[in-house]
Amino acid sequence: MTYQEKQNVVNMFSALLITVIYAWLVWQRQQQGQFDLTEDFRQWGILFLIFIALSVVARIIIQIVFHIGNAIATREEKIPREDERDKLVKLKALRNSYYAFTSGFVVSVVGLALGMPVYWIFIAFVGFGMIAEIIDNGSQIYYYRKGV
Amino acid sequence: MVLKSIITGKESDMARSIVQNNIRRLRFEAGEMTQQQLADEARVSRQTIVAIEKGNYSPSLELAFRLAHIFQTPLEEVFKYDPKEDVPGKR
Repeated sequence: MTYQEKQNVVNMFSALLITVIYAWLVWQRQQQGQFDLTEDFRQWGILFLIFIALSVVARIIIQIVFHIGNAIATREEKIPREDERDKLVKLKALRNSYYAFTSGFVVSVVGLALGMPVYWIFIAFVGFGMIAEIIDNGSQIYYYRKGV
Repeated sequence: MVLKSIITGKESDMARSIVQNNIRRLRFEAGEMTQQQLADEARVSRQTIVAIEKGNYSPSLELAFRLAHIFQTPLEEVFKYDPKEDVPGKR
């Protein structure tokens, strides 16, 4: 497995882990009555901003740990340079990820039109955001293996 | 689609590019140049050289010329285009 493939696997699992842990913590607080996410949309905004900040910090830490772990395991300290093929792979993967997220947005809007509660759109955003990221990283692994 | 590798002579359904290449042979003729050495000179990763050799990636014109320049040979000697394979719906 190449460095890029390993990095994508780590990214996929970290996206899944961070989202699931944060969603579980928010769910716990909701159950305890610390806030009411079915009505309080300002709270959704705050939770999203905290989620973005926590995700960035967690990913930086995970990337550092991954790089150190990889360097120890492979004795390869240098990160492979990003070239034209890497950029093309990322571009195609981003396109797939964009399709996934856009589909999620459409599903959310259809849900609203069918009478789902408004907070549903926020939950759908989180869910489809995670799916889009997994598709992004999964696509990169696919293109690295099968060619672009 | 089944193509025959120029280098190994083996048939492979993995070969998907209509552009075939002689990089493996040219590396051999350049004093057993390694993929890493070629990658360093061409300013790309070793994985990209591997992908080009396997026919999994068609490089940009810029990189193709750079590779030809490294081997001190015309571009046609490094890459070959097969118009018979370039049929709509065949790939």
